[in-house]
Amino acid sequence: MKLFEYQAKEAFAAAGIPVPKSRLVTDPAQARAAADELGGHCVVKAQVLTGGRGKAGLIKLAGSAAEAEALSASLLGETRQIITRLLIEEAVDFKREVYLSITVDAVAGKALIMASADGGVDIEHLAATAPEKIARVLVDLDQGLQAFQIKNVVFALGLAGGETGKQAAAVVKNLYAVFRKHDAELAEINPLFVTADGSVVAGDGKLIIDDNSLSRQAGYELTREHFDSDTEFEAAQDGIPYLQFDGDISLMCAGAGLTTTVFDLINYEGGSVANYLEFGGPNYRRAKRAMELCLKNDCKVLLVVTFGTIARADVMAEGVVEAMNELKPRVPIITCIRGTNEEEATATLRKAGLEPMFDTEEAVRKAVALCAGGKS
Amino acid sequence: MSVYITRENKVLIQGMTGQEGSYWTRHMRDLGTNVVFGVTPGKEGQDVDGVPVFHSIVNGIKAFEADTAMLFVPPKFTKDAVFEALDAGIKKIVTVAEGVPLQEMLQIRKAALSCGAMVLGGNTSGVISAGEAMLGMFPYWIDRVYKPGTIGVMTRSGSLTNEVTAEVVKAGFGLSTLIGVGGDQVPFTRFVEVLPLYQADPGTKAVVMVGELGGSMEEEVAEAIAAGFFTKPLVAFIGGRTAPEGKRMGHAGAIAGGGRGTAKGKVELLEKAGAGVAKRPSEVGPLLRQALGT
Repeated sequence: MKLFEYQAKEAFAAAGIPVPKSRLVTDPAQARAAADELGGHCVVKAQVLTGGRGKAGLIKLAGSAAEAEALSASLLGETRQIITRLLIEEAVDFKREVYLSITVDAVAGKALIMASADGGVDIEHLAATAPEKIARVLVDLDQGLQAFQIKNVVFALGLAGGETGKQAAAVVKNLYAVFRKHDAELAEINPLFVTADGSVVAGDGKLIIDDNSLSRQAGYELTREHFDSDTEFEAAQDGIPYLQFDGDISLMCAGAGLTTTVFDLINYEGGSVANYLEFGGPNYRRAKRAMELCLKNDCKVLLVVTFGTIARADVMAEGVVEAMNELKPRVPIITCIRGTNEEEATATLRKAGLEPMFDTEEAVRKAVALCAGGKS
Repeated sequence: MSVYITRENKVLIQGMTGQEGSYWTRHMRDLGTNVVFGVTPGKEGQDVDGVPVFHSIVNGIKAFEADTAMLFVPPKFTKDAVFEALDAGIKKIVTVAEGVPLQEMLQIRKAALSCGAMVLGGNTSGVISAGEAMLGMFPYWIDRVYKPGTIGVMTRSGSLTNEVTAEVVKAGFGLSTLIGVGGDQVPFTRFVEVLPLYQADPGTKAVVMVGELGGSMEEEVAEAIAAGFFTKPLVAFIGGRTAPEGKRMGHAGAIAGGGRGTAKGKVELLEKAGAGVAKRPSEVGPLLRQALGT
């Protein structure tokens, strides 16, 4: 779960990482008052989860409280995406920007600190074009962050020595504490500002909490803003993996890898996907809810493909038939349900008047053909 | 022939008395797996179909030898259970749990590397030596999927593995051992670490890799082939070739971004290394026939 900048900075501040003074506001009048408090000269930052906010015009510099109010009104009136909160932040007079992040290294089985003296840039771009400018320090979680590692990171940031060096070392140590305490997948400060008087302060803040650890990270909840569509949000609240597209074929499949493969096959055949929905694993008894979500789309065909072991074919076939009877979908349903107890599944589907298929690629071709037929 | 699990292995099962644990213990034994004891804290003295249960691994290994641990343990207790097995000197550990906290995955992987153990999972169906023994949850009774033979399969997936394996059997082959490394972001064992088992096994003539977008496991396999470290024929199927970048489609580990971990990049590297790459599951069989000259 990706946190908003203001949430990340709250976590940073609580761990002792210096952040600029700021106020979180929800309307232009509040923005004006906040800007006044901060001395007028401030930055108005839309709290959205998409990257590249600067380029997208979602971060604006204001020279006065009146300007902050006007900029806030225009950002809150954005129609391209939902903006409900703004962070009004004091403008920091910086002389340098550096990069610091902590993530996971799957190969080493350790935390990975990445540091670069070149901050404020897209780190993935830097990694692709000038990898030698990024220092990588691996930290064993059971040993914890060692003094020599902090020192190496501070050297890589180009901030060693004096008061700045001390402050940078504290930021590294405290960011690691945030990473551990919040079960982070990523904790990133980009840019980390160095001000004219040599202090360091976090210009931006990114914190992604591992989804598998959310139950022990109190205080954060998924909101509509975490999703690209209403149905994705609704499905997520039900714990059903769902992605919205705008094509013809609604996927109601089981198994993450298999559903992804069916998605590919449809594209290979020249078809288009209305939505990706996966009702395997813990959801295999929830065919009705899955079908309800699928039918929110203006799709032409519903395609059900499964090949499960624990997600039993007979249970899923019964679920599909029950859902059909209750929801009475007007679009044709193609099924390719195999796996544990598939003979019973086949009988159930035939009894309900369906013509079960057994080959995924044939089922995909049939679905694509049905859509094409519907168009002519 | 087979790798990782045979009928010679002495298997202990953590979480054997639970619903899932007891159900799949029965199936594992039906196939031929040698289950020596189970572990559930607080249930020492009970048994599951005659297999004794102990409070702990320490207690169990006083009475029975064991070299392999199978975990049916919830994700939030998985780290502890794996550490308990490692502590007892067990070198083969399989964990099916889906949803282990990410930073604990790192700790498990790191500990396994330190101990020289091979931990498979999480979020996997497990490992099966067709017709012989299994650790985990496989519909081994479906002949057109789990027929014994000479093809090693390694996979990140569950249902998709059934789909691809059915194509292997349809082409006239069968399986030696299928190893599920799991669909998580931090697999405890990586594809490239499984390859030496297949390389050394005279019963495995070729390997099928069921990969997908995200991570770098398939790239590592391509490097291993290119370096001459793995020399048997390998056919790969990579899911997610048309998945939009930046979206997490499918498994937790299946996300590409910033040009890394893309299905396209994996396919290119594997083809360059000389592996067969199937675009569709149905191409896996013909590519295997071509590679093996049958």
